[in-house]
Amino acid sequence: MSITLTQSPAAAWAPLPETAWNAEAARHLLRRAGWTARREEVERARQEGLAATLDRLFPASPAIFPEPVQVTRFAEEAPAYAERERQAQTPEERRLIQRERREHAQTAIQDMSLRWLAYAAQPGNAAFAKWTLFLSDIYVVGFDKVPSPPLIYRHFDLLAQQGLGTAPALSKAVSRSPAMMLYLDLNQNRREAPNENFARELFELFVLGEGNYTETDIKEAARAFTGYRLRPATGEVLFVAAQHDSGLKTVFGQTGDLKGDDVIDLAYAQPAAGAFVPHELVKFYLADTILPPEYLRALGDSWRTEGGYDLRWLARRFFGSQLFFDPQFRGEFIKSPIQFYLGMVQDLDLDVIPLARFVLNPLRQMGQVLYTPPNVRGWVGGRAWVNSASLAARRTLVELLFSPLDEHKVNADEQLDLVAAHTNGVDRFTVADGSLQPLNALAAPAAVEVLETDYLPVRSEPSFTTGLADFIAAGASPAEHLRRVRRATITLLQSPEYQLC
Amino acid sequence: MKNPSHFLPSTRREFLNMSGKGIGLLAFSRFAPSFLVNASLAATPAPEKDRSILVLVQLAGGNDGLNTVVPFEDARYYALRPTLAIAKDRVLPISDTLGLHPSCPELQGLLKDGRLAIVQNVGYPNPNHSHFRSTEIWETASPSDEFLSTGWIGRYLDNACAGSPAEDHDPLAVHVNTLNGIPESFMGAQEHPTFGLLANGVGRRDSEETRRLLGATGGPAPAGGERGFLQQTLMDSLVTETRVQQMLADYRPLAEYPANPFATSLRSVAGLIAAGLPTRVYFVTLTGFDTHYNQAGTQASLLATLATGLASFQKDLAAHRLDDQVTTMTFSEFGRRPFENESRGTDHGTAAPLFVMGSRLKGGLHGMPPSLDLPKNQDVAYSTDFRSVYATMLENWLGYPSEPVLGGKFAPLPLFA
Repeated sequence: MSITLTQSPAAAWAPLPETAWNAEAARHLLRRAGWTARREEVERARQEGLAATLDRLFPASPAIFPEPVQVTRFAEEAPAYAERERQAQTPEERRLIQRERREHAQTAIQDMSLRWLAYAAQPGNAAFAKWTLFLSDIYVVGFDKVPSPPLIYRHFDLLAQQGLGTAPALSKAVSRSPAMMLYLDLNQNRREAPNENFARELFELFVLGEGNYTETDIKEAARAFTGYRLRPATGEVLFVAAQHDSGLKTVFGQTGDLKGDDVIDLAYAQPAAGAFVPHELVKFYLADTILPPEYLRALGDSWRTEGGYDLRWLARRFFGSQLFFDPQFRGEFIKSPIQFYLGMVQDLDLDVIPLARFVLNPLRQMGQVLYTPPNVRGWVGGRAWVNSASLAARRTLVELLFSPLDEHKVNADEQLDLVAAHTNGVDRFTVADGSLQPLNALAAPAAVEVLETDYLPVRSEPSFTTGLADFIAAGASPAEHLRRVRRATITLLQSPEYQLC
Repeated sequence: MKNPSHFLPSTRREFLNMSGKGIGLLAFSRFAPSFLVNASLAATPAPEKDRSILVLVQLAGGNDGLNTVVPFEDARYYALRPTLAIAKDRVLPISDTLGLHPSCPELQGLLKDGRLAIVQNVGYPNPNHSHFRSTEIWETASPSDEFLSTGWIGRYLDNACAGSPAEDHDPLAVHVNTLNGIPESFMGAQEHPTFGLLANGVGRRDSEETRRLLGATGGPAPAGGERGFLQQTLMDSLVTETRVQQMLADYRPLAEYPANPFATSLRSVAGLIAAGLPTRVYFVTLTGFDTHYNQAGTQASLLATLATGLASFQKDLAAHRLDDQVTTMTFSEFGRRPFENESRGTDHGTAAPLFVMGSRLKGGLHGMPPSLDLPKNQDVAYSTDFRSVYATMLENWLGYPSEPVLGGKFAPLPLFA
């Protein structure tokens, strides 16, 4: 897609005028900041106005995803595993214990994934959960390299707790996140043998972007980050002065006995620092096409000077701007698998099925494994989400959510999870006929109108719209009419337009 | 056109015909999949005469091996299974010491005809008892302490089909199962044309309706940008789907299949093979083997479904003279605990026998049965690694070196004559 921006960079980021705030704009905001635009949320946002809505989506004290019990338990059992490993008599015995721990970790991360999805599916949590996911796509860690659910949880919790504070403070906290230390080998960064991995990614992927630093800056910065140590058993992070290289280093032209935090401050003092997160915002939330650099710079400059690198300030400015609401961007962005799934769960008023096989497998088939991005750059996004296999997986997922779950046919352990879910009132696993009744009561064209308004970010081709309406109208008996409403809804959710937001 | 209700063309001629008549299909000229545009690929690809096909049958939930192939002369078996053991006079003997579950006479017949091989006690080192994880291990063919993101069939396609043009959209791997989507076995490092037939979950009428309705999303003037890209991708797969459905609608089986979803899936596989689809691997699932409670009835009915389905499939293939091209093998994420539990069921176990069916086989028993000399509630130790079975299929059936696919050397078994 090619973009033509007519406004000046400064004007583009000015707030959307109140007169331009309407239901269509509210839908665009809700679909991009969260997973979808439910009718009642759209109405509420329209009435409250843009500023109040942004306050609500990015609140001063958001609801944080609580640590799942299985993760806590895994952390509690970590010392016991370590002890058993120490006491192991043979290498074989030790391997068995390690394997047991790894399997325990795998179960815990699956449980955490399902719980996070259930948390993120709550409309009130959607925007903030997505914001955390956005930050985790910058400050990437992966379970494949850090197979510790408690450390992964802690990393995401840090991103949530500090995710609406200032960027330098967040980067400093991340440099002490055990998961990050393991993921980027900061723990291996020794005075005698500096490891540059973390310093490089700090500049390239967290703060500045490629081309805005030299190899010398990286080498010197790596020395500044020596001395960070991690106690693996407890996850405690220490600064060991004796292991820190206290010699003089020169980073971005500044010389001194720099420490890690000093390097982070120096990086944020670089002119390129302002535009980096805006660039990531555009890529994650707005469009596959990158904006002209002067637009990113304009937002970056005001973020630094007016916003003091405050992330909440940036979110409000970005999502409240005229540029964000530019019609060129509406309905022209491909949903990530997680958004496709969670958006559908919200649109259909469903619960996240508490079974890995029914949720995490489809996500994997669509190309997204929560907590395990492909590499340090995170997910590519956009068109990379779509090929014939992943599109087929999306269509299959739609069918899955419309087929009654035969709770007697699942495995015994899954049955237990379902019983537990029922006890907690979580039981809207698939779309029941009852929830289709309101649509079924409408005349066919009106029903299709509701489906398109509520679910699609762009209108379908007229041939598709009339095709759906004719199809529903041809249902003569009440049962057949209802069946056709169901089939039409499924079809609409499988359409190209529903893959967009 | 054979069936005017099919909205999408399935051959180049149909495509041009419909476009020429101006009945709404001009739209597709912008989306036309390359196999329609490229005249040389327009006709159904001629089936290669020597093309070998593998059909994988997943027995999901963990099939109890001891009650599938019963060691009826072993007193320990009867001690382990106070209520579940199958009496000697009820088993269908296949050797002096072993017999099949009484609900599989068809498998006994296939064995007698040399069309069935049983690989005994198949498993892997350091077995995992989780359904999810152990299925993953079987499908990715990974060691139990390694996590792979690609499946063994996917890696076979990565290797075997590297560099070959993926222009025509005929699927190389097809799964016919429930709603669980693409089997992990098919996931490759590269994208391969795979195809899923929702045999059980979604009725034929439903899926036809959806295809017909979605066919109109292209519109007379396809959009550009992300939307056009999605429309194009969707149209490509709808055309494949239509074509496959047409093949199935046209298929006349030469054997009778029982009326159940599993048999219907196998019938579909036979139909696609007969139609000459260049697919090398099919994947079919039969679920419900997780028999923690009251195992006897459940397993008996599942094994009957398996046996009758497999026998019909083999008979059908033979009648079409396609049996030389097809080998079918079963697998399950694990066997079950030799010790019966308190609920007249069995808990998750380890190794179990698997079936291989085909006309080019060395039929009969392969590998060693498990030793039942077990401490209380212990699992059997496997005697054949499942990756040796995979190596056999890759090297001696699909004709491809197994090492790059399996990431190690696994000795093939003498399954093929």
